[in-house]
Amino acid sequence: MLTYSNALFAVLAFPGGLFALALGLALKGADRRLAARLQRRVGPPLAQPFFDLVKLARKRTMVPDIAAKPVFLGAPLIGAVSMLLAAALVPIAGVYTPEPVLGDLLVLLYLLTIPAVVLMVAGSASGSPFGAIGFSREMALMLAYEGPLVLVVAAVAMRTGAGLGGHVSFSLSEIVAYQQAHGAFLFDPVLWPALLAFLAFYPANLGIVPFDIPEAETEVLEGPLLEYSGPALGLFKVMSALKAVVVLGLGIALFYPIAPAGVLGLAAQLGKLLVLMLLGVTVLRVSCGRMRIDQAFRFFLKWPLTLSLLSLVIVAFA
Amino acid sequence: MRFFKIFARNLRQGPSTIAFPFGPAWTPERLRGRIEFDLAGCTGCRACEQVCAGGAIRFDKTPQGLRFMMWHNTCVFCGLCTFYCPTKAITQSDDWHLAHAAVHKYEMAIREVIPYTNCSVCGLKTLASAPNPVGVEPPFSAEEIEQHRHLCAGCRKKAMAERGVKS
Amino acid sequence: MKTLSETIRGLASRSPWIYRINAGSCNGCDVECATTACIPRYDVERLGCQYCGSPRHADIVLITGPLTARIKEDVLRVYAEIPDPKVTVAVGICPISGGVFRESYAVNAPMDQYIPIDVNVPGCPPRPQAIIEGVALAIDIWRERL
Repeated sequence: MLTYSNALFAVLAFPGGLFALALGLALKGADRRLAARLQRRVGPPLAQPFFDLVKLARKRTMVPDIAAKPVFLGAPLIGAVSMLLAAALVPIAGVYTPEPVLGDLLVLLYLLTIPAVVLMVAGSASGSPFGAIGFSREMALMLAYEGPLVLVVAAVAMRTGAGLGGHVSFSLSEIVAYQQAHGAFLFDPVLWPALLAFLAFYPANLGIVPFDIPEAETEVLEGPLLEYSGPALGLFKVMSALKAVVVLGLGIALFYPIAPAGVLGLAAQLGKLLVLMLLGVTVLRVSCGRMRIDQAFRFFLKWPLTLSLLSLVIVAFA
Repeated sequence: MRFFKIFARNLRQGPSTIAFPFGPAWTPERLRGRIEFDLAGCTGCRACEQVCAGGAIRFDKTPQGLRFMMWHNTCVFCGLCTFYCPTKAITQSDDWHLAHAAVHKYEMAIREVIPYTNCSVCGLKTLASAPNPVGVEPPFSAEEIEQHRHLCAGCRKKAMAERGVKS
Repeated sequence: MKTLSETIRGLASRSPWIYRINAGSCNGCDVECATTACIPRYDVERLGCQYCGSPRHADIVLITGPLTARIKEDVLRVYAEIPDPKVTVAVGICPISGGVFRESYAVNAPMDQYIPIDVNVPGCPPRPQAIIEGVALAIDIWRERL
């Protein structure tokens, strides 16, 4: 009983739920502010994503006549709920270990595919041709970046398992505990190709320029999100904020979960999230133009896939 | 890699955003903004009505006199009226704060009337407009302008002939 | 002490999203609208605004151009897609009165016979600062309607 109520608390309040939502929105606010400063503009206030969400909650959702209404309205709900669950699955070093009843790394991998699928489904359910274009582009991009993700996770899991005695360890708590005992994988040369592959993967997952192809504002009029308004659009924003926390948290847990316990550990986690967000997302977003879908596809097949495969092969045979 | 130098420079130099609307905005000196009309200087020649690109200026004959009407919502702020006015009765200030709620749409206008008066010499009903100073040598003084204002067209011609030309 | 609904309304009014409709404009006013978004000098993001790509996401609509006969049906269709509450800003003199094109047979100005306009920003084209002023006025009107 206690584990279930712990799990519920983890999903709804900390570290999932409201905490992760607030964290995700604060990260997005910091990202927009820094991007503006890098462009010599003043930029919106740090709490701007919160205002956006409040405003979206007050408008009404218009459903197009040709849209498939249950799918149209259900898709963002499923996406937001999946990311809520995923946020409770990511361990925070020194502060939070997820309950085993919630699931392990494989569940997290599956949950991480849901937002992309939800975006695709929303695009096709809205019935507009721009949504259909967004659907096909998101599908191509997802195929491109899921491969490296799985291989990176497998490489890290195999490394932990090899260190612990020969099996493959798919429990994130075990991976974190192993790194706290034996040193972070950030400093392990065997896993450096996997680290590079992960650094290339997460801007694509978060939908950041140069990889924000499915949601391109100027090209496909926001693609799958074109027909959404009001609270449904707000749920999509919630989903993307939570996804940022989950993916960045996963990266930290896989490569550098060394932190003191307690409040300092929480502060360290926030600091690491901020560094990953500002350096990986903002600087990239401000300096690059958007890639074409075939360029992005080719890039992912060429570099992150081979790097993560290299890491996996070295870990498997060394 | 040049990007990092650019980012460092941008962060060092800070935002280049102007303070408006949270502070005053810089306005260039000769900005062509809101139209200002000086009734005392208008000769009633209607040159501004002829050249107005946006059709914003209209003159109407009313029982009280000649009415000048100018609507800012059709003005293209080209400055042609100012250029062609012989007395510079119509000028442009540098006021560009013209945004308004649509209910006040027809209040963004200038309406002035050049009144009728009776000629001080022959008593004919005439317009009390300023005399046109173009090509007048020696130039009019202020008292002469006031005197000519109250003369009808015929009496103005006589007054000009008596005034003579500076040779 | 503000009530909860007033606080929420105040928070929500700090995020107006802008959508531009070009109803046959010569693009002069569109260029000035673009400078308020892209040029660091006139940053509209300070007011919380964001130019969005879809009419469904819009709160403040900037309309430029006299409503030419060719584009009229499409503009009215797109305008109907924008959810309430919204505020419409007519940028430039063309939507208000037809501007220099007022005597053309192809122009359906003034636009407020088809679309309810809330704020006028005269000018040909208006300064970016004047457009920002118009947007700030529109935000005040929008706050009342939220």
